[in-house]
Amino acid sequence: MQAAETLTGAAIPLSKPTGKTYRIEIKRQASPDAEPHWDKFDLPQRTGMNVISAMMEIAGNPVTTDGRATTPIAYDANCLEEVCGSCAMRINGKARMACSALIDKVQENGVVRVEPLSKMPVIRDLSVDRSVLFENLKRVQAWVPLDGSYDLGSGPRITPQQQEEAYPLSRCISCTICMEVCPQFNEETNFVGAATIAQAKLFNEHPTGKVLKTERLHALMGDGGIHECGFSGNCVTACPKMLPLTRAISEVSRDVMIQAAKDIFTR
Amino acid sequence: MATTVSTPVSAPPTGARKGTRHKGVQPLRAGQGHSFLLRRLHSLTGIVPIGAFLIEHIVSNFEALKGPAAYAAQVKFLNALPFVRVLEWAFIFLPLIYHAGYGMYIWLRGKSNVIYYPWAGNWLYTAQRWTGGIALAYIIQHVWRQRFSGVNLPDHPGAAFHKVQMELLHPWMFAIYAIAMIATCYHFAYGVWLFCAKWGITSGERARRGFGWVCGVAGLLLCTIGLASMWAFVSPKYRNAPADLTPAQITEGTQAPAPIGQAHTR
Ligand code: SF4
Ligand code: FES
Repeated sequence: MQAAETLTGAAIPLSKPTGKTYRIEIKRQASPDAEPHWDKFDLPQRTGMNVISAMMEIAGNPVTTDGRATTPIAYDANCLEEVCGSCAMRINGKARMACSALIDKVQENGVVRVEPLSKMPVIRDLSVDRSVLFENLKRVQAWVPLDGSYDLGSGPRITPQQQEEAYPLSRCISCTICMEVCPQFNEETNFVGAATIAQAKLFNEHPTGKVLKTERLHALMGDGGIHECGFSGNCVTACPKMLPLTRAISEVSRDVMIQAAKDIFTR
Repeated sequence: MATTVSTPVSAPPTGARKGTRHKGVQPLRAGQGHSFLLRRLHSLTGIVPIGAFLIEHIVSNFEALKGPAAYAAQVKFLNALPFVRVLEWAFIFLPLIYHAGYGMYIWLRGKSNVIYYPWAGNWLYTAQRWTGGIALAYIIQHVWRQRFSGVNLPDHPGAAFHKVQMELLHPWMFAIYAIAMIATCYHFAYGVWLFCAKWGITSGERARRGFGWVCGVAGLLLCTIGLASMWAFVSPKYRNAPADLTPAQITEGTQAPAPIGQAHTR
């Protein structure tokens, strides 16, 4: 079998063995408090493989390079098309989505090194606890408040211009890569990170969501808030969904400043 | 085709949901603390008064190119400002101490990762911390040696040129001054850029890039003026400047005849 066909008859190339092998080195730990260690695996290279399909292949035959039988790798992944945001990890030192990391592209001299994100607590192997982002989104109330017991009627009209502004921000997949690569996001500053600021912006601009704007801006003035940003710009370079993060930070920063100035005179 | 790929996890997730302290980076402390005010104050003091003073200082020093008398006249003028000692503390020393102290605190809490992510913005971020540190170390010795020890220049403005000349004639000192001049101008120029980005003045990508060039050119210009003034003290033109000038010599300024002992080549 060389290719499958779509409904229109177009050929989809299937993964083919290339006859070569590559080595994948994975930083693992059995539990949140266990000491990490490295396991190495040699795998046959096929065209179009990605880091997640490598994990699946290991799960089928979890034997290391030195012939030791081990457990399959624990990792998070779901959509395999860079939209669910669950598979962020460090591949050859850089944080990125594993499902879009093609082995052909990421390997360096036939070796791929995979580590869990460094700033989130490890649960097991490559699976990390990223609930800090969820907590942060709750603290800035990153939603449109709509709950009620009666019919609110149709919502306000959203112009195409507003859509143009909002859509790029709505693409966030909560992967936490922008936080991982940020020098200010660490246990000293406990900075909130770019993703939450971008979502605060998204809902501040929404015609219904903006009723909570003042509260969001006040939240972002708290310790670990928007002012901890050092503008290294790593977030916007690394974001797999190309959110305009530095723009969002700059604009929300301005709103927070204006709010702070208002507070001096009106509170 | 792959269907589901989540793997069972043996250990339970750390207890964020149960209200126990979450491991790792803590969530936003909405409504808590004063770091917003302190951080914005740090940002503001870097522009006014410190940045404004830096420009004044470098531009004033440019008078050195006109010779010892003109330089002395400038020192005398500045020290004759009303409430000058109050101005000095309120607009130079206290803001500097705050900016430096909080700046070091910011530096210590950031975790530079430029080795893994060698991107332009990340380099600028890291350089901002190092140049701040260099500027601080330099300023401490500079203020001590030129302001608070040796001849007291506010009382003897005529001695200013000679005092600086004695310092810069040491090749080591000259190198330290040159490095510090470059570091300080970088720190200021990038600081202005950061200020505009963080306060929402240049929020657009294009505006930030364009303003980056403006700051770069302005910083380079400031640095050139500073280095040129340094040159005035060691150039052959004003070698062996007199240890002090009389008030009359200062008043005559650039029109003054060459003071005794000055190897004048004009
Ligand atoms: S902003 Fe980008 S990098 Fe950050 S969580 Fe969202 S998609 Fe990921
Ligand atoms: S598996 Fe969904 S983003 Fe990678």
